[in-house]
Amino acid sequence: MTQRILNVKNNDAVHSVNEVLKELLKSGKVAALLVPQYVPSKKVVFPVLISDPDKLDSNVFAPLLPASTAKIISRMTKVQPAKKPIGVVMHPCQIRALVELTKLNQASLENIIIIGVDCLGTFPMKTFVDFPEKNNPTEFILHDFISDGNKSEKYLRSACIVCDEPFPINADIVIGVYGMDISKEILIEAHTEIGKKILEDLKLEHAKDVKSREKKIKDVHDARTKKLESFVKEKTSKRGIAHLAEFFDKCVNCHNCMKVCPICYCRECLFDSSVFDAEAYKFIRKAESKSLFKMPNDSTLFHLGRMNHMILSCVKCGLCEQGCPMDIPLMDIFIPAAENAQKEFKYRPGKDPKEKIPMIVYHEDEYVDIGEK
Amino acid sequence: MVEEKKEKKEEFEPKIVGFLCNWCSYAGADLAGTSRIQYPPNIRIIRVMCSGSVDSMYILRALLNGADGVFVGGCHPGDCHYIDGNYKARRRMVLLQNILDTLGIEKERVWIRWISASEGQKFADTMREMTEAIRKLGPNPISKQWNI
Repeated sequence: MTQRILNVKNNDAVHSVNEVLKELLKSGKVAALLVPQYVPSKKVVFPVLISDPDKLDSNVFAPLLPASTAKIISRMTKVQPAKKPIGVVMHPCQIRALVELTKLNQASLENIIIIGVDCLGTFPMKTFVDFPEKNNPTEFILHDFISDGNKSEKYLRSACIVCDEPFPINADIVIGVYGMDISKEILIEAHTEIGKKILEDLKLEHAKDVKSREKKIKDVHDARTKKLESFVKEKTSKRGIAHLAEFFDKCVNCHNCMKVCPICYCRECLFDSSVFDAEAYKFIRKAESKSLFKMPNDSTLFHLGRMNHMILSCVKCGLCEQGCPMDIPLMDIFIPAAENAQKEFKYRPGKDPKEKIPMIVYHEDEYVDIGEK
Repeated sequence: MVEEKKEKKEEFEPKIVGFLCNWCSYAGADLAGTSRIQYPPNIRIIRVMCSGSVDSMYILRALLNGADGVFVGGCHPGDCHYIDGNYKARRRMVLLQNILDTLGIEKERVWIRWISASEGQKFADTMREMTEAIRKLGPNPISKQWNI
């Protein structure tokens, strides 16, 4: 593994990383970069596809995930794989989602250079826009990280609090902050041959001792795994259809959770189609058998159906929850369901690009008792 | 005699939706019929081309609309007309039952069984077994839940 140290100038990690990215663009190693950058109103950070190094003013540490970058890359590469190299700066969860999308033939990684950033967690969009602290959200979370504090946790999205994999896997280049003193230096690692080539041409110092990082990664992973386990335990203590109906009480059937989900890729979702339209007499018959029922009907069926279709690839990014206009805490059921289902099939989405999705493969000698008793 | 009839009326009759594969289970059910083997009439059979074509959605829709039980019938493993449809159905069933378990919905209401075209007797026996099992479970609580 090739490792380099990026010296941080003036305690400004964001700007220092921006300089490296600028160098990538200037040298022509990438034709374009997909990076998070403040929009002119300075309210939010959005992914921008940028080709002019002079216009680059990225903020890779902004604690915000406004849209799925995996889905953006799927859009760019599904029709035709990229002909020129594109560098994409991504959160770890989005890299996992992108790997899943390639398995589903919805994206191509050809000429896509993935630059993964260690994730410190992200805030909900609304919190980010109206941030209650003095500093801006990026300064706040970086300062909190440097001082090893715990102040930012109360603002984090629920998915980020229990995220057990905030470190990029399957990236070409990793921008590492865990275990580093980011007021002085940031680690830049190459995980693939392509990444190695790019890194060797950048004028950066060789890294010496990164043992502290390995230890920190392990510590963070262990702590988060514990948190995740207790989260699953807590949220599955309430179960049953009555609880489920109450959980989705507020759902307005907008299907936004499906639209923002990086995994949901169907051009037309079954639930947006006319499959569930029927003659009035069928509705009346249902009303007669139940005496009454809530309209629009089938909203719980939508959530359960969607869950059945995507849960094995769920990367627990929490975009569904962020996209919900009614603030339904979707992670409370999707994280336990994902954990349990993925454990059943011993499958970790986004981990191994060569491993197939469990629903399209089988072994003859597995689950032999299913269907017999 | 009159009292006996009254009791029978009050007994809960489960409604079971069955998805039977065209090549094995449906033919098995047919054989049960042509051989005049008696079995409880609680199942409403829907013929599908393969158990592998039964999306979890079909099962969920039946359950959420108040079916007391859902039955999926396929060819024995290795005998699928489409080579591997039932292996995929098997995995899908594992996933569905796992999710139902997490959410606390009775997964005992969803059955999958392998019944070949020659097993008319097995089909009748399975129907009897399932009807009794569902009768014991009682009516599906979802059918009373109007706000889903």
